[in-house]
Amino acid sequence: MTHVRVKMLIAGLVLIASVGYLAVAGVKSGWVYYLQVDDFLQGTDYQARRVRLYGLVSEENIEVYPARLTARFDLLGDNNSLTIHYQGVVPDTFKPGVEVMVEGKLDDTRIFQADVLMTKCASKYQSEEHAKRLEQAQ
Amino acid sequence: MNSMMIGNLSLGAAVLMAAASLFTAVAAVKFQSDRMLVWGRRLLMLFGIAIVTGSAALMTALVNSDFQNAYVASYTERALPMGYKIAAFWAGQEGSLLFWALLLAGMSAVAVRQFRSRGRTEQSVMLGTLALVCGFFTALMLFAANPFAQLPVTAVDGQGLNPMLQDPYMIAHPPLLFVGYAGYTIPWAMLLAALIAGRKDNQWIGATRKWLMISWLFLTVGIILGAKWAYIELGWGGYWAWDPVENASLLPWLTGTALLHSVMVQQHRGMFKIWNASLIAVTFLLCIFGTYLTRSGIVQSVHSFGESVIGTFFLVFLGVCVLLSLVVILRRRALLKSEHEVQGLMTREGAFLALNVLLVLMTLTTLVGTIFPVISGAVLDEPVSVGQSFYHTAVIPISLALLAVMSIGPLLGYGKDATKKLIASLIVPGIAGAVAVGVAVALGLTNPWALICTAITTVAVFSIGSGLIQAVRQRRKIEDEGPLTATLRVIDNNHRRYGGQFVHLGVVMLMVGVAGSSLFSTKQTFQLTPGESADLNGYTVTRGELNQFRQANYTAIEAHVTLTPSDAIGGAELSLHPQLRFYDKSMGGEHDHPSAHVALDSTLTRDIYMTLAGWEDDGKLVALEAIINPLIAWIWIGGIVMTLGAIFCLMPRLMRETAHVHAPETSSKTAINRPRTLAPATVPLALAGEGQCVLQTPATTTHCPETSS
Repeated sequence: MTHVRVKMLIAGLVLIASVGYLAVAGVKSGWVYYLQVDDFLQGTDYQARRVRLYGLVSEENIEVYPARLTARFDLLGDNNSLTIHYQGVVPDTFKPGVEVMVEGKLDDTRIFQADVLMTKCASKYQSEEHAKRLEQAQ
Repeated sequence: MNSMMIGNLSLGAAVLMAAASLFTAVAAVKFQSDRMLVWGRRLLMLFGIAIVTGSAALMTALVNSDFQNAYVASYTERALPMGYKIAAFWAGQEGSLLFWALLLAGMSAVAVRQFRSRGRTEQSVMLGTLALVCGFFTALMLFAANPFAQLPVTAVDGQGLNPMLQDPYMIAHPPLLFVGYAGYTIPWAMLLAALIAGRKDNQWIGATRKWLMISWLFLTVGIILGAKWAYIELGWGGYWAWDPVENASLLPWLTGTALLHSVMVQQHRGMFKIWNASLIAVTFLLCIFGTYLTRSGIVQSVHSFGESVIGTFFLVFLGVCVLLSLVVILRRRALLKSEHEVQGLMTREGAFLALNVLLVLMTLTTLVGTIFPVISGAVLDEPVSVGQSFYHTAVIPISLALLAVMSIGPLLGYGKDATKKLIASLIVPGIAGAVAVGVAVALGLTNPWALICTAITTVAVFSIGSGLIQAVRQRRKIEDEGPLTATLRVIDNNHRRYGGQFVHLGVVMLMVGVAGSSLFSTKQTFQLTPGESADLNGYTVTRGELNQFRQANYTAIEAHVTLTPSDAIGGAELSLHPQLRFYDKSMGGEHDHPSAHVALDSTLTRDIYMTLAGWEDDGKLVALEAIINPLIAWIWIGGIVMTLGAIFCLMPRLMRETAHVHAPETSSKTAINRPRTLAPATVPLALAGEGQCVLQTPATTTHCPETSS
C-alpha cells in the first residue's frame, strides 16, 4: 500500500470510530423507553426511569388549568390507567379522548409527573374522516 | 361526464401508457429497434398528457368545491380562501401523489428530449426507467390512493383544510420538496442508462449535474420553508424536532449535497466513480424510503400519518429499485474504476472525499436515529426511541467537522498535496478566527460549543473572502481593471466556484442561527391579570385586553401585550398580539381544538416569540409563553443566500469578457455551450486554481471548467 493510502485509511478509521463513538454516546443520552401504560406498570425497572408513555386521555377525572399551566388526567392503557400530573403549557390539541405522549417519571405517590405532553396531531396526509369517507365511496 | 370520471379515465390511460412505454423501451433494446424507441418516447409523452388531464380534473373539482369527490370533501370547504383550495391539491395523500406524478411526467419529458442525441440503448434504458417510476406512482393512485373516489351522496360542505396547513409557507413547502424528490429520479435513470449502455467516459455524469443541482435547490428551499412553517405555526418555538418526517427530507438532502461535490471530481479527474454511482442510487432510494417511512406509519411520529396500505406498495417498489441499482452497479463495476488515485489528504479530492464521508456518516447516523424504534422494537421487547439528545450528541459534532472541511476545501487544488500552500492561505483566516474567539470570551461567552462555532465560522468566512481577494489581485496584475470590475469579472467567470462559495456563506449563516438559537434560547411563562407586568430579559411585559374577533372561517381570541424595553436595551415599545384561533370546521370534529397563532418580533440579533397558552376565569387570568431565540433570523437569511448561490451556479455567464482575454471563437456564448471535455494534459494547469483560470492564455481558457454545463 502506498504511503497516502495508509494515511487515508487511518484517517477514515479514526473518523468512523469517532462517529461510532458519538452515535453510541447519543443513544445512551437519548435512550427513552416508549411504552403503553400496561407495559409500564408491569415492568418495575421501567418505573424508576424517565420514560415516554403513550395512550388515550380518559374522558373522566380530567382537570385542565391552561393559565396555571397544569393538567391532571388519567392515561388509559388496555386494562389499566395511570394518573398523570403535567406541568407546562397545555397543547391546544389536548382534550379528553385524544392520543397523547407524555414524558416523565413516576413519583412516590404513584403519580406520573410529566414535563412533556404532546398530542398526536391530525395527519397531514390522511385524516380519519377522509378514511371513513373513502369507505363509503365507490 | 364529471371530473371524477375524467380523472379516473386519465389515471387508467396513464398507467397503460407508462406500461406500454416501459415495454417498448425494453423491446427497443432487445431488438435494437429505433422505431420502438420513438414509440416508447411518444407513449411517455401520452402518459404526460393523461396525467396533466387528471391533474386538471382534480384542480377543477377543488376550485369548484365539487363535494361529490371524497378528496375535495375531506380537504376543503366552501369558505376556504381560494389559495388554500388550490393548495389542497397537495395537502392530502392522494393529491400529493398525483402532484408527484405530474412533476415526474414533466421532468421525464424534458429529460427524454435532452437525451435524443444519445445512443439507442442509453436512451431506451433511460426511457424505460422513467416509465417504471411514472407507472408506479400512477398505479399506486389507481389501486391504493385514488384522488377521484366518488361519494355516494354529495356532501353539503367539505371538512376543511387542517388549520395548521392554512399558512402561506405550507402552500409552498410540500410542492418544493416534491420537485426535489421527483428531480432525483432523473439522475438515477441517467445512471442506469449510462451503465447499461456501457459508457466509459465521464461526460454523462456532467449531464446529471444540472439535475442534481436543481433537485438540491428545490429540496433546500423546501426544507427551509418547512422549518420556517414549523417555527411560525407549531408554536413550540423551534423549527426542527428531528421528527421522522423531517429526517425523511434531510436524508436525501445530505447525500444530494455529497453528490454535488463528488460529481465534480469525476468530471475533472475521473475519480470516485463507483462512489458517485452509489450515491446517485442512494439519493433516489432515500427519497422513496423517506416517503415510505412517513406514509406507512411504521415509525411513530408526531405527524402521525396513519397506517395505510400504500406503505406496502412503497416497500415493494423500494425493493425493486434497490435490486435494480445493485445489479446494474455490480455487473458494470468494471466501468467504474477510478482513473487516478487520491494523492494526499490535503488536496481538493481529499477534501471532497472527507466531506463525502462525513455527509454519508451523518446520513447513516440520522437514519439510525430515525428508525431506532423499529430496530430496538425488533431486538428488545419494547421500542426505544432516542429523542433529540441523540441528534444533539451525534450530529452536531459531525456538522462542525463538515463546516471545517467546507472552509478549507476550496483553498486546495486538485492533484498534488498542498499542505504548505494551505497553511499559507490559512494564516489570515486563522488569525481572524483566534481574534473572534478572543472577543467572544472577552464578551463573556463561555460555552465551548459556541466558541468552537465562532472559530470555525470566522475561519470559513475569511477563507472565502481571502480566496476571492487573491483571485482578484492576480487578475488585476494582468488586466487593467478597477477593483469592482475585476471582482465582478472573477466571480462571473466562474459561476460554479463562486456560486458554491455563496452557498457556503449561506451555510455559515445558517449555522450561526442554529448555534445561537439552540444554545442560548430561553423560555419563560407568565400568568398575568389585566394591567399586570412582569420582566423578560430586559423588557417589561404588560398585559392589555383579551379580545375576540371573527374572520372568514375562524374566530380568534387575541391577547394584547406590550413590551417596554429597559434603558439598557433601548428602542421602541413593542406590541405583540398572540392569538388562539377556533376554526369553524375543526370544532366538534377531528381537530376540535384551537390553533395557536404566534406573535413574533424578529430582529437580526434575536426573536421574541410569544404564544397565548390559555386563560381562565373569562380571561381575567391569561397565560403567555415567551421564548427568546438569539440569532435565529440568520437561519432564514442563510437559507436565502444558499438559494441565491445555487441559482447563480446554474446561471450562464452574465458579462461579456473583454476582447483581448478571449479570442472571438471563445466568446461567452460558445464557452457555455462547449462540451465539457478536458484534455488530460491541460487539466492540472487549468484546474490548479479554479478561480484563476481566466488568467490563463486564451488557448487554455477554452479548457476552463468554470462555465456551467
